[in-house]
Parts: sequence; C-alpha cells; structure tokens
Amino acid sequence: MMRTIEVLIVIIIITGAFIAASFFAVLPWPRQVSPVNLRRLSFTTLQMLDSNYDLSKAAFEIDNSTIWRELQVSLSAALPPNVIYNLTVYEVGGSAGGAELYHNLATISNTESLGSTSDASSYMTASSNVTFNVIPEKIGEHSGGGTLYILNCSDAPGWWITGYTAHSLAQDLYNLLSPYFSDTIMVQSTTELGEILDGNPLHGETLQNAVVVNTCGEAVPIPSTYAAQYSGNSYAEYCYQVGKRVNLYNWTWTSIVGWPFYYVSNTNEFAGSQNSWGIYGMQLVSNPGLNAFLQGLDNRPTYTPGTSSTSSPGVVYLSSGVIESSNYYGIYPSTYQTSTRALSTSIIADYHLDVTTYVFNPVGGAIPAAIYRHRGTVGTYQGAFYAIGLTRTPDIRLTALGLLADYKPRLYRSEYTTYGTSRLVVLQLGLVGGA
Amino acid sequence: MVSSTVDHMIAVTVFLAATLLFIGLFNQTIQTAVIYQRHRATATKASDLIDNMLLSPGIPIDWGKGDSSPTGFGLQDPEFTQYKISSFSLMRLNSASGTSVNYWKVGSDYSNITVGSKNFLLVSLNSILNYSTALDLLGIGNQYGFQLSFNPVVTVSVTQENADNPLSLSLDVYGTGFPLVNAQVTYCLMTVALNGADAFPSYSTFYGNDTTDNQGSVTLSFPVDSTVSYALIAYAHLGGLVGVGYHERVSSEDAYVVPFVDNLSEGRILMTHSYDIEYAIPPSAELKYNATFVYLAEDFSLREMPLDNSYGQINSSDVGVYGVIDIPTDNPGILITTYKSETGGGIVMMPWGVSALAFPVVFGGDSTKQEWVATDMRQVTVGGIAYQAKIAVWSLEGYQVIG
Repeated sequence: MMRTIEVLIVIIIITGAFIAASFFAVLPWPRQVSPVNLRRLSFTTLQMLDSNYDLSKAAFEIDNSTIWRELQVSLSAALPPNVIYNLTVYEVGGSAGGAELYHNLATISNTESLGSTSDASSYMTASSNVTFNVIPEKIGEHSGGGTLYILNCSDAPGWWITGYTAHSLAQDLYNLLSPYFSDTIMVQSTTELGEILDGNPLHGETLQNAVVVNTCGEAVPIPSTYAAQYSGNSYAEYCYQVGKRVNLYNWTWTSIVGWPFYYVSNTNEFAGSQNSWGIYGMQLVSNPGLNAFLQGLDNRPTYTPGTSSTSSPGVVYLSSGVIESSNYYGIYPSTYQTSTRALSTSIIADYHLDVTTYVFNPVGGAIPAAIYRHRGTVGTYQGAFYAIGLTRTPDIRLTALGLLADYKPRLYRSEYTTYGTSRLVVLQLGLVGGA
Repeated sequence: MVSSTVDHMIAVTVFLAATLLFIGLFNQTIQTAVIYQRHRATATKASDLIDNMLLSPGIPIDWGKGDSSPTGFGLQDPEFTQYKISSFSLMRLNSASGTSVNYWKVGSDYSNITVGSKNFLLVSLNSILNYSTALDLLGIGNQYGFQLSFNPVVTVSVTQENADNPLSLSLDVYGTGFPLVNAQVTYCLMTVALNGADAFPSYSTFYGNDTTDNQGSVTLSFPVDSTVSYALIAYAHLGGLVGVGYHERVSSEDAYVVPFVDNLSEGRILMTHSYDIEYAIPPSAELKYNATFVYLAEDFSLREMPLDNSYGQINSSDVGVYGVIDIPTDNPGILITTYKSETGGGIVMMPWGVSALAFPVVFGGDSTKQEWVATDMRQVTVGGIAYQAKIAVWSLEGYQVIG
C-alpha cells in the first residue's frame, strides 16, 4: 500500500508542477505576441504631418489656435480609431553648464492616460528662418571610384570653346560637380595627364571608375611621351590609346562640345603647327580620331585606320529624364540647343555600346548627346563615353547635368540643431480596446 | 506477500499511466511555448520586412520607371529619404485585388487596379513585378508569405446631390479615425462637349477652392445641365494630410474608352474600345476620343500638359484599331480622356502613378487563408498623398496553432 501512496504523492507533485508550468506558458494574446509597433507608427505619423512643413509651422506658432486645431484634427484623422495620443512640443535650450534643456511649450492629447501599453518617438522640427544645407551623396561612395579628373592642362589649348578658356570651364565644372565626388583633381598639365594614363594617381586618389572631363573642346591634350610613341595616322593612334585606358580603368570620358578627338594639343610638341584656324600648339587628327578612340574603348587588340562621321540634326531637346534631373539638382540650361556634331546610332552596335542616358532626345539616326557605356563581361560595363555633339559655344552646365542624370547621386538635407531654431516634438501613442 | 505484490503492481500501473499522461500534457505546454516563440519571430520579421521595403528604393533605384525586373526589392522614392514611397514602383506591383484583363488585339494581359467604373489602371504584365519574384528578391521565398497594402489615409467621398442645373456635389472628407474639419479643398470640374457629328469631343474646366465644415463636408454647385458628362477631381489637405476624391457622370455607358499602360519606360498608353474588353455585341461602334494629361502642382492646382496624338478614333473587333498616346513625363499625373459615341459620351480617368488618384494597392498573397498572421503598419506619403502601409506576414513552415 505504501508504494501506491508514494505514487499518488508523486502524481500530486507532478500535477502541481504542470499547473505551475501551464500558468506561465500560456500562449499570449495576439496583441502581446505581435504588437503594433507604436514607436514606428508614431515616428512615421510625425514625418507625414511634417511632409508639407505644417508640423514645423505649428511647433513655432504655439499661440496660433487655428493652426493647433488643424494639427489636432490631422492627428486624429491620421491615426487608427483605437490609438490614443499625446503630442508635446519642447523648446530646445541650453543651461549655464552647457547641457541641453527641454522646456515644455504645448501639449495636445485625446486622453488623460495612455495606459500601460504605450510608446513614443521624437522628431526635430526647424524654424522657417533656418537656412538648410544639402549634403549630396558621393558618386562611387558605395561602388568604388568617385574621382573626377578635370583636364585643365595649361600647356594644351582648346578648340570650339570660343568665349571661354579651358581654365574657366574647368573652374565652373569644379564648382558644379566637386560636391558630388569623393576627390576632384584638376589635371594641370599634359605631363599629369600622362601620369594618370599610365595608371599613376596624382594625389592618392582612386584611379579606377573615375570620370574624366576634357575641357579643351574638340582638342584633346596629349602628353609629350605619348606624342613621341603614338604619332601614327596623324595621332589617331594616341586617341586609340586613350580609348584603351578608358576601357582599362573603367573611366567615363567626357567630351563637352563638338566632334570629339578632332585635334590633339600640346604647346610644346606642336609649337610650330596650327590647326588651320590660326591656333598654334594643335595638330589636326580629323575624323579618324573619334573612330580610333571608339576602337580603343571597344578594347580591340590593334588599331585599324578608319573614319568617323557626325550629323547636324539642328535644334534638339533635352530628354524628359534629364529635365527631371535638372529640377532635382537645380541646374537649368536651356531645354533646347543646336546640334551640329551628333554621333550616329550605328556606333552602338559597331562598338558594343549601350546608351545609359540620352541627354537630348535622338533625332532619327542621330544622337545629339548621350552617355555610352561599353559592354564588358555579362551584366557589367567597362568604360564609358559622354559625347555632347552640340555646336559651339559649350554650356558646361550640360556636362554637369548629363553626368548627374546618369550617376544619380542623392541629395540629403543636413541636420539642424542650433539653439532657438529647433523644437522637439514628442508623440506618444497608446492602444485602447480589444486585441 | 500477496498484498505487497498487488500494491507493487497497482503502483507501477498507476505510475506508468500517470507518466504517459504527463508526457502528453507537458508536451502540449512545450509546444505552446515553441509556437509563441515562432509567432514572436514572425512578428519581428513583419516589422523588419515593412521597413526593408519602405526604406529602400530597390536596385536599380529607378526600377519603378522602367520595364525590366529589379535585382533588389524596395519601394522608397529614390529622390527622397524617409518613408516617401515611389508612386511608380507601386504601379509596377501585380495587383492582388483585381483580376487581370486580356486585350486580345495585342495578345497581352494587364494587371488590374481599376477603382469604380471609369477609373482604370491596367498595366502590362510584361512590366509587372509579381509576388513570387518579390519573395525571392527579399530572400524569404520558402519561409514567409506576406501581403502589403497601401490605403489612402484621407478619403474624399463625392456624392451627386442634384443632377439638374445647378449641379450639386457633396464632398465628405475623413481620415482613418476622424473627419477632416476645416480642410482646404481644391477642385477641378471637367465638363464634356460632344460638339458636332464629325468633331472630336472637347472639355472645359472649372477650378475652385472651398473649406469643409465641422462635419468634414462641403457642397459644391456648378451651372451644368443634367445631360452633360463631367468629372470632378478634388484634393483635400490639412496639416500635412492630403487626400484625393473623384467622381464622374457619363451620358453613354455602353461604349467607352479603356486606357492600357503598355510600356512604362516609354509612357506608351493604348486607347482601346470597351467592347474589345467585354467581348460585347454589337461588335462595331466607333468612338472618338480626346485625351489630356494633368498633374498636381505644389499649390494643389492641376496643370495641363500637352500630348502628341491626343485625338483619335477607335473601333471594336477590327484588329489593330486602337489609339496610342505617349505620356512625356516622369511625374505622376492623371490621363483624362473624353469620348464620344453615337449614343452619347463621357469621360474616363487613369492615374499615371497610383498616387495621382489615391488608388489603393494590394500586393502579395492571401492572408485570409493563413492560420496566424502578424501585422504592422507605417504612415507614408506617396507622391505627396498620405497613405497607410500595412503588412501581413505569415510563416510557411507549417506548424499548427493550438492553445
């Protein structure tokens, strides 16, 4: 009998243990397992109320009962019926000891108590008197690269940049584009150009994936070492070598106006020759130059002499995508321009290119301005060419706008924390009713 | 000796029975705890997923404006930070709320987000991102299912109070929890003029502003005859909340124009005959149409944008007889098409980007067939219009719910 009693005692103990375990291991209500994320709901509600700066306006006009009534109506309308709220605006000030102090300025609420299930988030609003800065995303920040080379070679004259000098164009370009690049390098001489063509960074910058802008118009600067080695076919072989480097380093080579690679320029090398229009220090390459560059960009093993052609579609119009970029980046060139050196659509197939951005709408078989990327291995590009086939005089804003439209760096608003210009808004939310 | 043996046997029997019983009971308790943990993990996943989708523009960042498939899923407007959603990315999601439509003349199917009887958004399935692809891009293909829905926070309900001249329309503006009192209402009424027998229809516009009363309502009056077709678009805004409402009256219901978005990247719209969609008889009934594109300016007024080939005439049954319009913009707007048939005319609208007419969007699987679903929500803006984004997530790992 004793064993039976012992077993019964064991059963009682285990039953007690089971009851105790069951008490703690009950599946909770769905609300407890999957609660509405009140913190994120609160934060996104504040962002939405401030999408047209109405919340900021209310935070700085505490005594304006009309604005605050509208804010309360908006808040009540935006939140689900079972969500209660308390919104408080704080003035951000400083104490004598330097610590931040928050003074309660105004509160609106639709409940006396938010109960035990509540959460809050804060949002900093700014006075309309504050001037904001914009921080642009850096091109190549995530994918590598991010260097902008501006050819500002003092020993290389330009052509078809009438009314400007290469130096003034380079300076304007620097002002427009340098905020969007990790490094902006002014290439001051043809010798420095030779360095980067040889794969040597000038100031420790990243050479790969760079953007190179030639501000000399239809002329391309040529280093003396390259002039000595690649003078064949009226220096078309140099253009071929440039194309090879663009492919090798995955550069984006930019020609700002006219027929690309029509001349090579170096005041020392060509001191006694002129381009037939009286500009000394320049040598005519003529139409084989562009053809040679494209062969190099296509990474062909050898250069085969050939010619290129352009056309004159006349008045051309910015593409809709670039017009949108124009608004986004705040760069406003004229939406229509005259094109007399448009490249042919045939180069796309001939040199294995894709057009990633049409800066101007194509006209028939003519492309007035576009960014062409050379197809590398499957799904990748290796080298790019931005050709603006407009007539002189160049508008350097088109160069900047086209590059930005293609790379699409984002613009971020800066933080603002100056005392007296910011107010903190805290929205606390709670839940009422059933699960 | 015998009593001791009996005692032993009873004790062993009872102990074994009790052990088996308690194993079953404890097993149930442990299973309850495991399910709790799994539900908790699903809820956490729901919160993660909705933020992943809403705070990333996807790859490439402008995939919403193209026709190719993205390699990363995200719905954020690439031009903004925070919870601002791309109106075009939402347009590319395969709608779970409507049945797809086949247009036999081009042999294509179209995702259907049509709202009401004359407000269409039919996007070619060639441009659409489907649910299974989204699951793969999010990396949850065999683990979780989800349904993502976007519903406008502000509802602007338009009711025709008086059809005769003066036309009287009542607008009720309310949010998810409260009427929008003293909200500013900016509206545009477009009336259709059918003109002569051979002419194309045209339209006239009336713009105005008003304010809602303490009930969130306002009544508008217009000098419009009862036979005239019209469309009203009204934007209500208050304290950062913006909502859209619309209403049409047509004098001919039997044949009308149905616009199809055939190519998103090129903005190519096919203007088709409703008989071709409904396979209606009689098979032939010519329609003349006149289309215009309007977009919402920052001051909440509607601005017109000229279109090439905005006029045309179409017919049913004949292969290839449909109109083509190109929308030359990357900004959201509304394609408004007036049409005229032998028996009358009317007006149809199509948003270019879902936000222009505050269309709701439902994307993903069917949450009603799941045993346990975790939900979460965010307040977002889509093209300036206030929306509530809600996600429902469930596990596909097949455990039972008990307790």
